[in-house]
Amino acid sequence: MEGPERAAAALGAQLRANGCSGASHGTLRNGYVRGLPAPDTQINHIVHNGGLYKRPFNEAFEETPMLVAVLTYVGYGVLTVFGYLRDFMRRWKIEKCQNATEREEQKDFVPLYQDFENFYTRNLYMRIRDSWNRPICSVPGAKVDMMERVSHDYNWTFTYTGRVIKDIINMGSYNYLGFAQKAGTCQEAAAKVLSQYGAGVCSTRQEMGNLDKHEELEKLVARFLGVESAMAYGMGFATNSMNIPALVGKGCLILSDELNHASLVVGARLSGATIRIFKHNNMQSLEKLLKDAIVHGQPRTRRPWKKILILVEGIYSMEGSIVRLPEVIALKKKYKSYLYLDEAHSIGALGPNGRGVVEYFGLSPEDVDVMMGTFTKSFGAAGGYIGGKKELIDYLRTYSHSAVYATSLSPPVVEQIITSMKCIMGEDGTAVGKARIQQLAENTRYFRRRLKEMGFIIYGNEDSPVVPLMLYMPAKIGAFGREMLKRNIGVVVVGFPATPIIESRARFCLSAAHTKEMLDTALKEINEVGDLLQLKYSRRRLVPLLDRPFDETTYEETED
Amino acid sequence: MNVGVAHSEVNPNTRVMNSRGMWLTYALGVGMLHIVLLSIPFFSVPVAWTLTNVIHNLGMYVFLHAVKGTPFETPDQGKARLLTHWEQLDYGVQFTSSRKFFTISPIILYFLASFYTKYDPTHFILNTTSLLTVLIPKLPQLHGVRLFGINKY
Repeated sequence: MEGPERAAAALGAQLRANGCSGASHGTLRNGYVRGLPAPDTQINHIVHNGGLYKRPFNEAFEETPMLVAVLTYVGYGVLTVFGYLRDFMRRWKIEKCQNATEREEQKDFVPLYQDFENFYTRNLYMRIRDSWNRPICSVPGAKVDMMERVSHDYNWTFTYTGRVIKDIINMGSYNYLGFAQKAGTCQEAAAKVLSQYGAGVCSTRQEMGNLDKHEELEKLVARFLGVESAMAYGMGFATNSMNIPALVGKGCLILSDELNHASLVVGARLSGATIRIFKHNNMQSLEKLLKDAIVHGQPRTRRPWKKILILVEGIYSMEGSIVRLPEVIALKKKYKSYLYLDEAHSIGALGPNGRGVVEYFGLSPEDVDVMMGTFTKSFGAAGGYIGGKKELIDYLRTYSHSAVYATSLSPPVVEQIITSMKCIMGEDGTAVGKARIQQLAENTRYFRRRLKEMGFIIYGNEDSPVVPLMLYMPAKIGAFGREMLKRNIGVVVVGFPATPIIESRARFCLSAAHTKEMLDTALKEINEVGDLLQLKYSRRRLVPLLDRPFDETTYEETED
Repeated sequence: MNVGVAHSEVNPNTRVMNSRGMWLTYALGVGMLHIVLLSIPFFSVPVAWTLTNVIHNLGMYVFLHAVKGTPFETPDQGKARLLTHWEQLDYGVQFTSSRKFFTISPIILYFLASFYTKYDPTHFILNTTSLLTVLIPKLPQLHGVRLFGINKY
């Protein structure tokens, strides 16, 4: 594969040299275009915005083709009609009913189960259930082993055939830097700590659970992020849901992105503050909400808000989009509000040194008031952290629910985080960390570029390692998952109601552990399955780069 | 809890009718129904139009005004369980564009049916009653109203 490789390298080289990236024509949903294009570069729809962005911000969400949308609705309509038919048959005992129902004697009482709420689960999800909850039997690194299972009653029950499918290319795990390994320095260090400290203290941080390992970890995390102080918690979800209530309360305002993760939503609701939602990554919507909030104050009393907290994520894992952090920080400073940045997917995965989305944009960590992240994705461990000013973290040590009631992190997990973080920072004496970060960036660029060339609709930012590939139709969700498994590639597919009704997708998560050969195999199979299932919906085809240096007169990148 | 879900929308049912291509699909669906009815050799043109109108209104009544709740679990603790789909649209905000569209479309179908049946009295009675069954539940005054306790729980 000489040509594309050299082309990708040439593209990569040019990206670093003149900061220009692949431009695409076509409709953009959230593209924010401003600023004068440089005279000798072909730039469309790339954000410059008066110098706030030091590098091109290239994000695209191609609109659903109308024919595909109509066919998707027809698909859901057919499935609904058949669902009603099957429910009718089950009701009149023509067909065996296999889900939980009440006993005959209880049928005269008030119903125990809300039958209609399980309509979707019974009639749509059950049919394609074998694409989810697949049992694996090895560490989920770049390749994974899976237990094969068959179903003889259309996915209501599964039986194991006994065979283990070996070496499935794993495109579903959040293994961005490849630390999900079962052997290596991290594993040895964690094993040593396990024999030294045991599995856990079973106590909260404020009682007996505060080990010297935790203090060491927190100092390291603070140094890694470039903040004054940090605190680590046992669970990433709990970090959000238990700390947002400690920071804001009644009388405060939370401005939350449309597509924020469930943990942020739960935390915001638990806090009792007023929640207003702005359109995904849309700075005009956020500014309008900020202006209205400050001008009108609280709803009935018109008093000023006690605090305004903006909740955003670094990378949104379902869209693959990166937050417009320079603009958010500019707005935050202008309207004097606070910023809570959830870097669950972006820490370790973005930035030249893996320090996350703040480093990716070249901003200062002091501008973000609360930097939250998790150790689950890039560090191959578990848990979450919050970093910020010393007063903030001292306050959280006293008042956070997780600190008072939740068990502290387990010592081997802490050691895994410490070792992997030192590896990323380069403090373990090797260049492994830096190599992994670069490998991830190259994999991301290459994979996205190849998929776009093939003609799939890919959402998200050019630099995000989360790659959603649009499937749209409900039948293709199941078909894609199964076809990819037949070809030994494991993918994650998502459909309604987890995504909007016409936007079902398959989501690839790239890893530094994926070699070029694995990616090429995966791309070949995706190409085949795309042809088989007719998934190549994109109407903007990127012509593969010519094999010569960037020359304005001969370089024609997009054909409409 | 919106767990396992990629957005903070409490009830996706409220947004379904606003999605891209839904109105077009609906119009195409009605057109397809009409073509199928026209192809049946026993039905004359007036009968086919009245049948289109009646079957369309019957379907609309069942799916928008009779079936309650959502076919999936929502994190709103059952607020939408007793509401029909029409009442759930846009969280109960009246006069949004989807509501206007779905109010106007049976009226247009009624006009067409009246024209093609040449204003025959029997057809007129059938078409008008069927139109009323589908227009009256859409009135904002009837939001959440259940007559005679029918379909209350």
